Amino acid sequence: MTLEALFYILVSAAVLGSLYAIMAIGLALVWTTLGIFNFAHGAFIGLGAYLAWSLADPSQLGLGLLAGIALALPILVLVGIASERVAVRPFLGRDNLVLVTVITTLAVASIIENAILLTWGSRAKQLEPLVEGTVSAWGIGVSAHEVAVILIVPFILAAVWAFLQKTRTGTALRAVAQNQNAARLMSIPVTRIFALSFALATVLAGLAGIFLGAVKFMSPSMGADPLVKALIVVIFGGIGSLSGPIRAAYIVGLMEAVLTFSVGIYWTQASLFLVMIAVLMVRPTGLFGKRG
Amino acid sequence: MQPLLEVEGLVTGYGGTEVVRGVSFALAADERLGLFGPNGHGKTTLLMALSGLLPVWRGAIRFDGIDITVKTAEAIIELGLVQVPQGNQLFPELSVAETLWLGSYPKRARAAEKRNLEQVFALFPRLKERRQQSVKTLSGGERQMVAIGVGLMSQPRLLLLDEPTLGLAPKIKDELCSAIAEISQQGIPLLAVEQDVEFILALTDRLLLLDHGELAHELTAENRLEQSEIIQLYFGQGALP
Amino acid sequence: MTAARLLPKLYLLLAILGLLGLPFVVTDSYSRHLLILAFIFAVVASNWDLSLGYGGIFNFAHLAFFSIGVYGYGILAKTLGFSPWLAIPLAGLLSAIAALIVAIPVLRLSGVYIILVTFAFSQLVLQLVVSQSDITGGMMGMVGLPPLSLPGYNVVRDGKFAYYYGAVILLLASTVYLRVLVKQPFGVSVMALRDNAEYAISRGVSLARQRTLTLVASAVFTGIAGGYYGAYLRVAAPDAFGLGLMTLLLSMLLLGGTATVYGPIIAAVLLTFLSEAMVDFGAWRHLVIAAIMIAVLIFYPRGLWEALTRLHLWLVRRLDGR
Repeated sequence: MTLEALFYILVSAAVLGSLYAIMAIGLALVWTTLGIFNFAHGAFIGLGAYLAWSLADPSQLGLGLLAGIALALPILVLVGIASERVAVRPFLGRDNLVLVTVITTLAVASIIENAILLTWGSRAKQLEPLVEGTVSAWGIGVSAHEVAVILIVPFILAAVWAFLQKTRTGTALRAVAQNQNAARLMSIPVTRIFALSFALATVLAGLAGIFLGAVKFMSPSMGADPLVKALIVVIFGGIGSLSGPIRAAYIVGLMEAVLTFSVGIYWTQASLFLVMIAVLMVRPTGLFGKRG
Repeated sequence: MQPLLEVEGLVTGYGGTEVVRGVSFALAADERLGLFGPNGHGKTTLLMALSGLLPVWRGAIRFDGIDITVKTAEAIIELGLVQVPQGNQLFPELSVAETLWLGSYPKRARAAEKRNLEQVFALFPRLKERRQQSVKTLSGGERQMVAIGVGLMSQPRLLLLDEPTLGLAPKIKDELCSAIAEISQQGIPLLAVEQDVEFILALTDRLLLLDHGELAHELTAENRLEQSEIIQLYFGQGALP
Repeated sequence: MTAARLLPKLYLLLAILGLLGLPFVVTDSYSRHLLILAFIFAVVASNWDLSLGYGGIFNFAHLAFFSIGVYGYGILAKTLGFSPWLAIPLAGLLSAIAALIVAIPVLRLSGVYIILVTFAFSQLVLQLVVSQSDITGGMMGMVGLPPLSLPGYNVVRDGKFAYYYGAVILLLASTVYLRVLVKQPFGVSVMALRDNAEYAISRGVSLARQRTLTLVASAVFTGIAGGYYGAYLRVAAPDAFGLGLMTLLLSMLLLGGTATVYGPIIAAVLLTFLSEAMVDFGAWRHLVIAAIMIAVLIFYPRGLWEALTRLHLWLVRRLDGR
C-alpha cells in the first residue's frame, strides 16, 4: 500500500465515521429516552438534504447554503415533533410498544419519502458543498467539503454532549431515560422530553443529509443506506449509551474504508454485517454496551 | 383554618383492580401525618394518586383550596405538593449534584435554588462530599438522603415521603429520622408512608391506618395506642414475642 | 348445537367454498393475479405471525426467508435444472436452514437486539445476493425462471386459472399447518415462553429449543411461498428484500392482529387490493396507506381480527338469545 492510498483510506474513514456518528447518536438518543427504534431516521436524512436544497440552491429560493441550513433546522424540529406525536405518543404504555413503533416509524418514513417524491420529483439533485474546491497537503488533494465535515462534526457532537451534560433540560432528558416515574416526581415534563429527543434526533439526521447531499446525488430514499449503516453502528456500540455509538461510528467508518480498499465495494457491506453479527454473538449488548 | 390537603372519597387502582377504596382525610398546614398499613394495602398507590402519577377514579383532592384531582404531576408539583421518591427509585447514572439540580426543575423552586442546596448540604453533609459521585455508587441510606434532598430542592409546601427507611440499617434510620424531624421543624408539613411503627410514631402527630384500601383507624395524641397494640392490630395475637 | 359452536364451522366452510369458487366469478386475469399475490403474502404474513405473534420473537429476517425461497427456486429450477415441483419444496427447506442459522445469534440476545441482528442478517443475505451477480444477476435479478409444468396443460396461458388454485392450496395447507401447530403442546409452550419465560423455563420448557423450532417452523411455508412466487412471477429480484415489502407484510400482520393466524390472512387480502386500487395515485398511494396504517393501529390496537371477533360474539348473542 502506498502512503497516498493510506491517506485516502484515513480521510474516507474519517468522513464516513463523522456521518455515521451524527446519525447513530440520534438513533441512540431516541432509543435511550423512548425505548423505541426509529426507522424513520433514514427519511429525516433525505428530508434535511431536500429542505436545504430548496432553500439554498440558486435555481430555487437561492438563499445560500448557510441560510438554507439555518432555515431547514427549525422545519426539521417541527417534523420531528409531529412524527413523535403521530408514531409514538399514541402507543406509549402499550405492551407491544417496541413492535408497533417499528411499523409506525416505517410508516412515517414512507410518508416522508413519498412526500419528498411528490414535492421535489425523482430527478437527481445535488447540494453545493460547504466549502468549494480541494485542500492539498503533501501533494495529495482532498475535497474541501470532506475536510469541513470532518472538522465540523466533532463540534456538533460536543454541542450535543454539552446540552446533555451541562443544561438542566439535557440532564432531565438523561433522567427520563433512566426512570420516568422518578422524573415525573420532579415535575420533569416527560412527554415534552420525548418530543425534544425526537426533534434533536431529527435535526442530527437532517444535518447528516445536508453533509451527504453534496457528496452523493440526492434521492427520496437516500437515507435508507445510511440508516442501515447507523444501525450497524448502534449494534456495534450498544444502544444504552451515547459515547458507545460515537466510538463505534469511527471504527465502522475505518472498517468500511479499509474493506472497500481491500476486498472491494461489493464484499464490504456483507463483511460489515458479518462482523456485526459476530460482535453481537460475543457481546450481546454491543461492544461498548452496558445494559440490555 | 382551611386544611392544606383535603382528600375526599378517593378511589383509584391499576388497570381494573381497585386498590384505594374511598379514602378521606385532611391535613392541616402545621401537621405531620403518618400513613401506616401492611404491604399491598394501597399506601403507595394513594401517594401516586396524590402526585398525579395515577388517575383518580372517583373522589376529589384539594391542595390549599385548589382542586388538583385531574391536574398533571407537573402542575401539582408546581403548587408545592412534592413527593420524595424511594431512594432506589432515582437515576443510577446521574451524579448526586445533577440529581439535586433536577430537584429544582419546578419553576417556583428556581429562585431559591442556591439556598435550598445549602440547606440540603447542611442537613446531609455526606452528600456534599459525594456530590460528584453517581447515585448508583451510594449506599442505600445515602440514596435516601439524595431523594429527600431532591424533595427539598423542589421548594415543598407539603412533603410526601414514601417509605423513607425501606431496607435500611437501624443506625441510618435514626439519622434520617432526625433529619426529617428537622425539616418539619422548619415548618414543612409531612405526609409519610411507613412500615416501621417505631419510626412513624416518632415522626408524626397523627397516624392513619390503612386496611385493604380503606381507612381503618385514626390515632391521635389523645387515643394513641402503644406500638405493641398497633402491631397486634395488624398482625394478630401471637405476632409479638 | 349452539351458534357459538356452529358459526366458526360455517365461516370456515364459506371461506373454503369462496376460495374454490372465486375464479368462476372473477374471470379477468388481472383480478386473479391480485388474488394470487394476496394469498402468497397471506402465507408469508401468517407464518411470520408464528414467530412474531405467538413466539414473541422480534424476528425481522422473515422477509429474508421469503427471498431465500424466491432465489432458491430460481437457482434450483433455472440454473441447476430441477423440476419446479421439486424446487418449490426445496425452497422451503433452504428457508428452514436459513432460520436455523438465524436462531444461533437470536438465542443469545433479547428484545431490541433481536430486531437489530435479524435485520442485519437479512441485509447480509441481500448483500450476498447482490454481490454474486454471476449466480443471482446482481441488482438486475434473475429473469425467465421456469414456470410450473403440468402435462398436457399450459399454465401460462390459462388466464391464471392453475396458478390461482395452486395459491389456494398453498394457503389452505399453510393455514391448517399453523392452526394445528399452535394448538399442539408445542404451540402452547411457545406462548408460555412469550408470556412468562421464567415460569415456563421452571416448568421444564427449553427456551433455546422452542425458539429455534419456532423460527424454523415459521420459515418452511414462507420459503415454499417464495418458491411459488418465483415460479409464478418468473423473476427473482433484490426488491423482495426491500423495506417496502417488509412494511407491507408487517402491516398485514399488525392490522390483522398478532397471534391469530386468520387476522393476517384477511388483512393480506384487504391490503393487497387496497394498495392495488390506489395504483393510479402514484406516490399518494404509499402516503395514504401509511397514514391509514397508523390510524388503524391507534384506534384498533388488537387489529381487525378483534373487530371481527366482536362481530361474531354479537352474532352469537343474537342467535342464541332467541
